[in-house]
Amino acid sequence: MNTLTQLEAADFINRSFKPLPRAYGDALVEAAQADPRIVALCADLVPPTETDRFRDELPNRFHNVGIAEANMIGIAGGMARSGEIPFCHSFCAFITKRVLDQIAMQAAYPNLPVKLVGFLPGVATLLGVSHQAIEDVAILRAVPNMAIFEPSGPEYHAAMVKLALDWDGPAYLRMKRPETLPDAFEPKSLDVGKGVIRREGGDATKISAGLSVVESLNAAEVLSHEGIEARVVDIASLKPLDGNLILESADRTGAIVTAENHSIIGGLGSAVSEVLMDEGIGLPFRRVGIQDRFCEGGSTPYLMNKFGLDAPAIAQAVRTVMEKKT
Amino acid sequence: MKEKHNLSELEAIATRLRLHVVDMVAPSGQGYVLQGLGAADIFATLYFAEATMDPANPDWPERDRVFLTTAHNTAIFYATLAERGFFPVEKLKSYVTDGSALEINSSERMGTFVEATCGSLGQGLSVAIGCALSAKRQGRSSRFYAIVGDGEMQEGQIWEAAMLAGAWALDNLVVIVDYNFVQSEGPMDRVMTLDPLMEKMESFGFACQEVDGNDIPTLLAAFDVARDTQGKPSFIKANTLMGKGVPSLEGLMFHQLRFPPEVAASARAELEAPR
Repeated sequence: MNTLTQLEAADFINRSFKPLPRAYGDALVEAAQADPRIVALCADLVPPTETDRFRDELPNRFHNVGIAEANMIGIAGGMARSGEIPFCHSFCAFITKRVLDQIAMQAAYPNLPVKLVGFLPGVATLLGVSHQAIEDVAILRAVPNMAIFEPSGPEYHAAMVKLALDWDGPAYLRMKRPETLPDAFEPKSLDVGKGVIRREGGDATKISAGLSVVESLNAAEVLSHEGIEARVVDIASLKPLDGNLILESADRTGAIVTAENHSIIGGLGSAVSEVLMDEGIGLPFRRVGIQDRFCEGGSTPYLMNKFGLDAPAIAQAVRTVMEKKT
Repeated sequence: MKEKHNLSELEAIATRLRLHVVDMVAPSGQGYVLQGLGAADIFATLYFAEATMDPANPDWPERDRVFLTTAHNTAIFYATLAERGFFPVEKLKSYVTDGSALEINSSERMGTFVEATCGSLGQGLSVAIGCALSAKRQGRSSRFYAIVGDGEMQEGQIWEAAMLAGAWALDNLVVIVDYNFVQSEGPMDRVMTLDPLMEKMESFGFACQEVDGNDIPTLLAAFDVARDTQGKPSFIKANTLMGKGVPSLEGLMFHQLRFPPEVAASARAELEAPR
């Protein structure tokens, strides 16, 4: 067999990378072109956080600070204190858990516009437990002044930049980069503190976020064939939360299932139950999410199935609440 | 605005700051007296000779910024801010009383002149670097001074920050280590030495000076050298003496200190005694 030259090998390797959409990264560049206060920081993960175009087109406002996340958050705090709006990029696990104290003291307590942008939400990575953020929402939800936004698909990625800028203080964007080229899509807008009804139905409500929204929509399709019509709410704004939509859904459908790519402790399921309990509402209720355990690396569909996050798991939870309802 | 004072005026200011430290801590016995006395000459030099700031307009974007990253050393910090005109000297009496913003660890709720909330050690230098990078981008000639603690330099984030400041040649940054050689559990060499500190910081890309941190002319000269240094951040190892200025307290190597009224009265008398 003929062996490859180094040049040929490099060429094969380069051609094996398909260009992936960069809806978030493009939106950030466009926002920065319009607003000179926006700067981007990265802890040595540039293409994986979609900041390569920002690096190339706005080099004076881009800093790769090296593999040093704690320093990055402090630097961002200094830049925000100097009138700039820093967007800090890494994986979800590292932009939250690794730097919680720095976030609290240098961004949240002074209520500065430091934007934390994480990729690889929840279980959704091959890279294993070190790179999985299954408790990040719970942790940051408890930090005062912090907002948390999570898109349910690429059509909402550009809106994440708008949400981050619409919120005056610190915000966390919990992003999942598409692994394959998605079908053509039209960008859709979102508002701070507003959920989106993605499918109507009167029998139960599935309140979900991020990757779990598509699973909820798929589950709704299956349930519909069984005669169960479920409303699907996309909670893109995890904090502040759309309490009115949650209460209205409880009132209208009488049963709620939450679904999240996150631990069932402290995340969306907890947040929804807090809203219901504060109003004294008891109703059939289930939380779909990671059951207080660590996970493992793998393909996203495999992991969503293995850890009980996929459409069949959500459909089963809806059947359970429907039984309790009658 | 830069303050203009001759040497004897600066020394008188340092003594006045030390008297405030004693008076502030005396009522409750709470606060870092030995460290405050030791750092008084650094604060006098930095705030009353070196740094450009406008107490009437603390948000002034062109100001130099001082970060006290050992945010617990507040008796001397608040005394300095009050004497420099950021708030009335009278307010110092509320130090560490319930409801007062003059807490043991300084926080931004006091005002912009507390440039960052740094009670959690190791963070302030990164914030100073962020400000220094923004200033370069925005074309401002402001300078950035971080007063760090020697014990604080055991924090990993300090070295992340130092690595970046050196690699990116931040010559608008001055790191002053208040080298009093005491950390919470006693003298530093009993816990973990930083030596060879000068060599470490030089290898991280800093222009380094070691000075007597209780000698105002030497400190002034060190800041002059730092300002003239191009293409490198500056590091000033300021060797300070715990309790400096109060002979009965000088060299006591305790991080925490109960400050009984008898000791406070003696300290005041010792500071006021003619030299």
